[in-house]
Amino acid sequence: MATLPVAEQPVAEFERLSLSALLEFYGAKFRTELALQFAYRGALAIWLLSLVSQPLISLVVWTTVAETNGGSAGGFTAGEYAAYFVILMVVNQLTFSWHMWEFEWRVRTGFFSPVLLRPLHPVHNDIIENLTFKALTLVALLPIAVTLGFAFDARFAPSLADVVAFGPALVLAMALRFLVEWTVALAAFWMTRTMAVNQVFGVLSFFLSGLIAPLALFPAPVQVAAAILPFRWSVAFPVELAQGQLSGVEILLGLLAQVIWIVLAVVLLRLVWRHGVRRYSAVGA
Amino acid sequence: MHALMVIRTYLKLGVLNVVQYRANFLFDLLSVGVYLTTSLLSLAVIFGQTQTLRGWTRDQLIALVGIQILVGGLNGLVIRPSMQQLMENIRLGTLDFMLTKPADSQLLASVQQVNIGSIAEVVVGLAVILTALARLGTEVGADGALLFLVMLVAGATIVYCFLLALSTCAFWFVRIQNILVIFQATFNEAGRWPITIYPGWLRATLTFLIPVAFAVTVPAESLTGRLTTLTTLATLALALGFVAASRWFWRVGLRHYTGASA
Amino acid sequence: MRITPSTARTRESSVPWADSAVIAVRGLRKVYEVPEREGGVRAAAGSLFRRRTREVVAVSGIDFAIQPGEVVGFLGPNGAGKTTTLKMLSGLLYPTSGEASVLGFTPWRRDRAYLGRMTLIMGQRNQLTWDIPVIDSYELNRAIFRIPWPEYRRRRDELIDLLEIGELVRKPVRNLSLGERMKCEIAGSLLHQPTVLFLDEPTIGLDVGMQRRIRAFIADYNERYDATILLTSHYMADVEALCRRVIVIHHGSLLYDGDLPGLVRRFSPHKTITVEFEEGFSQAPGERLAALIAPAGEVVEQSAIGATLRVPKAETARVTGRLLAELPIADLTVEDPPIEEVIERVFSSGSSEAPGQDQVAAEITREAERR
Repeated sequence: MATLPVAEQPVAEFERLSLSALLEFYGAKFRTELALQFAYRGALAIWLLSLVSQPLISLVVWTTVAETNGGSAGGFTAGEYAAYFVILMVVNQLTFSWHMWEFEWRVRTGFFSPVLLRPLHPVHNDIIENLTFKALTLVALLPIAVTLGFAFDARFAPSLADVVAFGPALVLAMALRFLVEWTVALAAFWMTRTMAVNQVFGVLSFFLSGLIAPLALFPAPVQVAAAILPFRWSVAFPVELAQGQLSGVEILLGLLAQVIWIVLAVVLLRLVWRHGVRRYSAVGA
Repeated sequence: MHALMVIRTYLKLGVLNVVQYRANFLFDLLSVGVYLTTSLLSLAVIFGQTQTLRGWTRDQLIALVGIQILVGGLNGLVIRPSMQQLMENIRLGTLDFMLTKPADSQLLASVQQVNIGSIAEVVVGLAVILTALARLGTEVGADGALLFLVMLVAGATIVYCFLLALSTCAFWFVRIQNILVIFQATFNEAGRWPITIYPGWLRATLTFLIPVAFAVTVPAESLTGRLTTLTTLATLALALGFVAASRWFWRVGLRHYTGASA
Repeated sequence: MRITPSTARTRESSVPWADSAVIAVRGLRKVYEVPEREGGVRAAAGSLFRRRTREVVAVSGIDFAIQPGEVVGFLGPNGAGKTTTLKMLSGLLYPTSGEASVLGFTPWRRDRAYLGRMTLIMGQRNQLTWDIPVIDSYELNRAIFRIPWPEYRRRRDELIDLLEIGELVRKPVRNLSLGERMKCEIAGSLLHQPTVLFLDEPTIGLDVGMQRRIRAFIADYNERYDATILLTSHYMADVEALCRRVIVIHHGSLLYDGDLPGLVRRFSPHKTITVEFEEGFSQAPGERLAALIAPAGEVVEQSAIGATLRVPKAETARVTGRLLAELPIADLTVEDPPIEEVIERVFSSGSSEAPGQDQVAAEITREAERR
């Protein structure tokens, strides 16, 4: 039995994905992605507009409600509503991802074919795309958020513990929302048009992550749903935390819920991905 | 008329092809249901805290939500999917095929895709409006209905022109296919509140969103008896202005279009 | 990045039936399920509830084996199942049944070690990022395929040099012409120095000069790295220049596997004889010529200066002798018919089995392959 020629030359060990190799990819991808997204600044500006306007609309509605009600409504003052939605604006931007909306296009145009042939899971590509996007848009969004905070006289009083816990809570939320939405995006492997699925998911997520109103204002069943599903943990939780709404125990429980959901999401993602790719390759790539 | 025939043919083909995406069809129905539920629920949450929102009662706002769903559905039937396709065509250079056909390019571009699922939105929107009217106890006479219809058409036209203008941007910018999705999400948010609640400076900032929200608020005002003659005329003028401006912008875009590189 | 010869694995063919072959295929079969409906509103509404599908066989059980360093031409008309096969071999498609082994791997498991050693280049699709300079895409590939920097620079510069794309790599892909893009595409796909190459129409749509350059490059790469190459092309010049061996498939089944001259022998039992008459031979020989080559030969065309004849292979020597003896001939050549003609014959002979049905099948397969 002859030895294959391939054995004669050194080839990277693709079986094991070392952290250093991954970081090296992240570095290289970040550099190109930065240039790329800068070329797409028109698209960035549009996303930014929506990232600002949606929380802003809720902010206007709720401060109006509080004001017509004599200064406060549902246990929040106008200033507290302003704080909630301004922080939400930032957290929402930092946890945001758009891959759901792109997968249909990716599957239809065969974008996946070359990507599947790379010795690297495609999710890494999207992680970097997403982080680059967040880094770039944050630069523009942060001043807007601060200005709005002053314009609407935002009031919030986080304790030291809140400030300390905010960091991990935010990072976990970013990871969780990305993983969940990326998994939902994989629906494109089964459906030719995914717009409607995405819309349902989008509306649900919009509602249950506290973008319409602080979750505390909703009837109990909705609150329970938001807590059982990943939505509260991927957006609302860090906001409530930063605002100083939560007790120490609630914070710890929240972090735990985030970790549990991330583990679940990773398992789910791997499962769905494996089946999805199988299907993609069965139907015709 | 040739244009009408073209539209009819496209619509027919669109209907025939919806079955290819039947899962999508079901999700469209689900999507409207979810949207309506969340809209009503958020109204419930708000009116759990207050009696009126800048002079609008709960039932009046329900009528507004119905109108928004209706206008969204009317555009979702043909305009939105066509615009999505248009941007794809521009990106891939396949718009060439459309431009070489002997019919108005804007027309062809605007009716090339049909999403039958949006019928659900139209039906639900109408039902919500009727329910709200019944709860309000408002009698709408023939002239009132006519006024409402005119305002509705004006509103839908404004939204269409706006979508067209957004899509036309694809002639200049790469990778803005998501623009319509974003627009839809934002329109859903901004449109379900009467524009009178936004402070003046904010209206100036959100110039792009406000005319669209305006397109929804005005028919609602006509139904709730708060429409002034001035607003009526302003809306008609705005609609005409939008038609002219978007058409002009489309022509500029076409001149800019060179087809995708070899 | 840990790439040292000591950690590199020696992979031997783990499948006994694959033997020493780099690419081995056994009973490979792919069936697509295609939804279908009649025209008209009622049928459309009906299929909303009950969807009818039909099976279309794209590849119906093929076998072959390719040895290390071979360049094999994979031929067949549109919709024959070539691209489907290439996609299965590169790991993009799961077969319906059958086995394949490439470098000892089962392609559709998409083992990373496998992906790191092969490449798929499709002439009709680009994988470089559209809006950034080519060189940036290369760097990305470097990270993806974990090529050490010095190695990367050496290979990159070598490829840039060989393909003469030094001027192009700093431009964004969208600003390149089709041929330029293809060259850049090829360089990008070879940075990780794959030993197995699947090339699907690598020269499609390119001008003749560009085709020739790409051809020369592929031959050179094959020689340098002893790479195994499976190539499809509609340009017979590609195949003639590169492939000592061809595999012909038609309607998803194997029609021929062997060298090019063999293909000609098998499917064209004729030779073409071209004669040029001496000056002063004032009129076409007409009937006389036909009589000379009778009974099996045939006059393709003739004039006062020369003629083209087609005769059965076995008759060649006899006919040539007679021609030279009987006519004032200045020059005479005996050739195999042009390869295009042979191929055309192969395909048309294959399709006579069940024309109508197959036409549709080919159409649908083509559709499936385009996606």
